[in-house]
Amino acid sequence: MSDDGFLRVTDVSKWYGDERVLHDVSFGMDRGDVTVLIGPSGSGKSTMLRCVNRLAEAQDGSILLDGEAVLSPDVDVDELRREVGMVFQGFNLFAHLTAAGNVALGPRRVLGLSEAEARERAEGKLERVGLADQLDSYPAELSGGQQQRVGIARALAMEPKLLLFDEPTSALDPELIGEVLEVMHGLVDEGMTMLVVTHEMSFAREVADEIVFLDEGHVVERGPPDQLFERPETERTGRFLERIESHD
Amino acid sequence: MSIVGTLALAAVDSLGAAGLPSVAGSSLAATAESVGATPAFIGDAADWAFVVDNADYLGVGVLLTVGLTVASILFGFLVGFPAGAVEVYGDGSLKRVVTVAGVVLRGTPIVVILIVMYFVIGVPQLNFGVVSLSSAVTAGILGLGLRSAAYQSQIFRATLSSVDAGQLEAGRSIGLSRFEAVRYVVVPQALRRSIPGFQNEFTIVLKDTSIVFAIGLAELLTRGHDLFSEQTTAVLEVVLFISAIYFVLTFTTNRALDRLGDHYAIPEGESA
Repeated sequence: MSDDGFLRVTDVSKWYGDERVLHDVSFGMDRGDVTVLIGPSGSGKSTMLRCVNRLAEAQDGSILLDGEAVLSPDVDVDELRREVGMVFQGFNLFAHLTAAGNVALGPRRVLGLSEAEARERAEGKLERVGLADQLDSYPAELSGGQQQRVGIARALAMEPKLLLFDEPTSALDPELIGEVLEVMHGLVDEGMTMLVVTHEMSFAREVADEIVFLDEGHVVERGPPDQLFERPETERTGRFLERIESHD
Repeated sequence: MSIVGTLALAAVDSLGAAGLPSVAGSSLAATAESVGATPAFIGDAADWAFVVDNADYLGVGVLLTVGLTVASILFGFLVGFPAGAVEVYGDGSLKRVVTVAGVVLRGTPIVVILIVMYFVIGVPQLNFGVVSLSSAVTAGILGLGLRSAAYQSQIFRATLSSVDAGQLEAGRSIGLSRFEAVRYVVVPQALRRSIPGFQNEFTIVLKDTSIVFAIGLAELLTRGHDLFSEQTTAVLEVVLFISAIYFVLTFTTNRALDRLGDHYAIPEGESA
């Protein structure tokens, strides 16, 4: 859990117009770590996450991924995104492609695998998320939980060294959340490095190596889950956790 | 043209002197008579025979109409699709040029566009080995095609914009470049949504090919006009006949596009 490891976010700041949404955010994680970003809506968690694969552009600070300066203008963002997978709140599956087509597109077009190799990889990843029987289903034919698992398989197909999850269960009906969390648990067990924005506190508690609490763009507090949940240092953290946990 | 000389001149004269109503009146009277005799038959038997005798003359018009339509729609697609994409994804001077060109083309009557192409610019005759296009045909294709491009660009602009931004973002997130994400993720969905608008455009271009009479080309409608100018009692029969041809052409192409749309439709589940 040392900060000089794999991902190092230092003093990252971002503005939307005059509004500052990130204030000198800093945290770090080692390879194989799971870090969970929590905080009220509008606290900047998702924006912070999206700065890591540059779907959002930070205006100040630095992000080092495996020694590479992510925010440098010289970075090839397409190459960066090959190595940093992302799972979206709204799934964002390619609506015109089957489950297998969704997962195979990256390997086929970005990694340059043959049609057959890409399909084979897609089948493998879909099997891993428990969807071997839905290879040829279109997104609209799948439940939300299934769609999100395809989303995870799509990110995994690029064999990323870091996976970003942007509220992966927030758009799901309660009874469908479990199947997605189960897949995520499996990834944790396999040692995947994951940066997760979520409101699922029990998941965070179970799997996180570190929790970062953001509020209004500031890191209010960060630490291992036991410390943060049992002995929050600030009143703000305590109040947020109380509010969230009463909904669990 | 089976009727020539004095008869045709007399017909044109009578049209000029007595005006269209008397011609239409006599034709209607003939219609009423024949309806009385054989209820299933509209029009006059002799006039229908006149139409059938001249079917080959109209057939050449059909070929020109279909040829102009296909070439113009194709040209319009090749220019209009990139133009629509530039309006959605482009920026700077390229986007401005495309936008202004579209506004000008959509705001100019098609007759003016054709006249400019043929008489002002004077596009040349084109030779493609076995096929040679006269300068009037070339001007017709370019004029109709450019105008169609301007309209098609709006079809594609609308459907490209209608694809959810999350689709492009998800494409970028797996490492596709912006161009690749548009190409592999947005365009396939936008093209499917373009089919209804494209059916409209096809139908409009097909019928608007008749305007090439302004640059001296005789396609289906112009040839129909030639015929009933010669035998003025046959107005109804000629108009019905060429209308039927237009109907068959639009109906079959629209059904073909329906089938295309069904074939590529994205399956939807019941729960979605």
